[in-house]
Amino acid sequence: MSSNLLVELQTYAAQSNSKVTTTRKGETFIEVNQDHIKEFISHVVNDLKILHLATITGLDLGENIGIIYHFSQESDSIHVRSTVPKTQSTAVSIVDIIPGAILYEMEIHDLFGVTFAGNPWINQKLLLPDNWPDDLPPPLLKTTKPAEIRKRLHLEVERK
Amino acid sequence: MSDESKRREESAGLMEYSVENLVPFGPIHPALKEPEYFKLILEGEKIVQVIPRIGYVHRGLEKAAESRPWVQNMYMFERTCGICSFVHSLCYGQAVEGLTIYEVPRRAKYIRLIISELERIHSHLLWVGLMGHWAGFETLFMWVWNDREVILDLVEAISGNRVHKSMNAFCGVRRDMPENIEDRIVERMKFITDRAHYYREIIDTEETMLARTENVGNKINQETAQKLCAVGPMARYVGLRQDVRLNDPYAAYDEVPFDIVTRTEGDVRALLRLRLDELVVSANMISYAVKHLPEGPIRVKIAPIIPAGEHSSHCEAPRGEIFYYVKSTGGRTPDRVKSRQPTMANIPTALELLKGQTLADVPMVLTAIDPCFGCMDRMSFLDMESHKQWTWSGEQLRQYGIKHYFPDRFNSSNSSKFRRAD
Repeated sequence: MSSNLLVELQTYAAQSNSKVTTTRKGETFIEVNQDHIKEFISHVVNDLKILHLATITGLDLGENIGIIYHFSQESDSIHVRSTVPKTQSTAVSIVDIIPGAILYEMEIHDLFGVTFAGNPWINQKLLLPDNWPDDLPPPLLKTTKPAEIRKRLHLEVERK
Repeated sequence: MSDESKRREESAGLMEYSVENLVPFGPIHPALKEPEYFKLILEGEKIVQVIPRIGYVHRGLEKAAESRPWVQNMYMFERTCGICSFVHSLCYGQAVEGLTIYEVPRRAKYIRLIISELERIHSHLLWVGLMGHWAGFETLFMWVWNDREVILDLVEAISGNRVHKSMNAFCGVRRDMPENIEDRIVERMKFITDRAHYYREIIDTEETMLARTENVGNKINQETAQKLCAVGPMARYVGLRQDVRLNDPYAAYDEVPFDIVTRTEGDVRALLRLRLDELVVSANMISYAVKHLPEGPIRVKIAPIIPAGEHSSHCEAPRGEIFYYVKSTGGRTPDRVKSRQPTMANIPTALELLKGQTLADVPMVLTAIDPCFGCMDRMSFLDMESHKQWTWSGEQLRQYGIKHYFPDRFNSSNSSKFRRAD
């Protein structure tokens, strides 16, 4: 990652009370509050010209759901990290900045139950089957056990 | 208000994205080949809107990875795809290697490059054959798939397997290159180069391919492709210089000279030309790599427990960038593995390419993105002018497309198969 970009990110982090970490093999993670995420991503895309969104990752962090936006442009890459509480998991959609993020947000909605406000397709299922029960927790949460999913979706194979 | 205008007003509402306007769709069976589903909203012959529904063969690999040992996951992720299998294990392996202190030996990096490029050639050839099949040029399909056997034989000679190579290990590869294979590889690469030039000539001159590919597909500009997160050939065919091999080299891509191919015409034929030109680039890279293969160990043995931390990796699969993110808490199993395949990233672009095209062009445009779901098994249609709904299988759509362009190629007994369901 170029040093100019790192300085720019550190300046932003100092202003907004967030944190920039660089891993041993040189990957840069920046933590951004959910309230500022849209503003920051707009800054990354429009001003820093880091244009390619590789994907959005969801993470089960115990009490919170982590959302990581992986951006890259040529050899530069930054990972923008944000969290939403599990009890009220609503995040801001970035579809109006990057229209291609629409499926990634739908995927996280399916697998972690995070609702993205502003995504027009968010209530459609993308990966989960249509008969996924509403009261069954999203599958990638640590508390959801595979055995429970099999049982509720009637996928148990009877062993003779 | 006349009936006609009332009906038009009602149908205009269908253009908005909302759940109420979805076209109902019948049963689908996951055992069919690559079952994916697109709802096409039509206005006469023109496509107005496309809504995807994927996930019929979603197997929950990310959840499964959380309960399996690190090494076992590598071979599980290799089974994500039957065509670009090696690059998945490579990308997952690189993400995990990022958490350890070990370096990959140089010889292993070269072997990884050779297998990756062989895989790219075989994937691109497979795709060119499929384009011939969907266009109604079966001879091309037969020729190309016959040439693909050359590559599969080489892969078998190196790895022992034709499809799932299982070559990767953490910090290295499991098998060394067989002795005295260098000449054979160089000779086969020359053969592939010759064939690629020949196919370039065919797609530029042959009537069927010209009719089915020239100016087909909604033209998009670079900015749109970037905003829709297009990857791989779908980004390069509008002129973006986006290639992980060049921008962020992994394996031995920083030591082997090559240049990526870009095009600017923006139609389906540009994609054909681009992928055929990439065959030549890959063949040259493989020839160079086998001639300059360094001596030394092929693998470093590492402990089965991976230190805590998080790391990501991306690689250039034949279809575009693939991305893996790995998080470890220092245990025997990963805490989280995220995998993103290129087709997922290219779907928004494909939907954009379909807009304004005729129904007959759908198979060509959807195949042009080289989707991992090569066959659209079923599609349902909604004609906004007549409010008719019907469902076709992929084969019916293929025949409809061929008949649309070449009506005289079918006799009357066949024609009933692709009549609209009136």
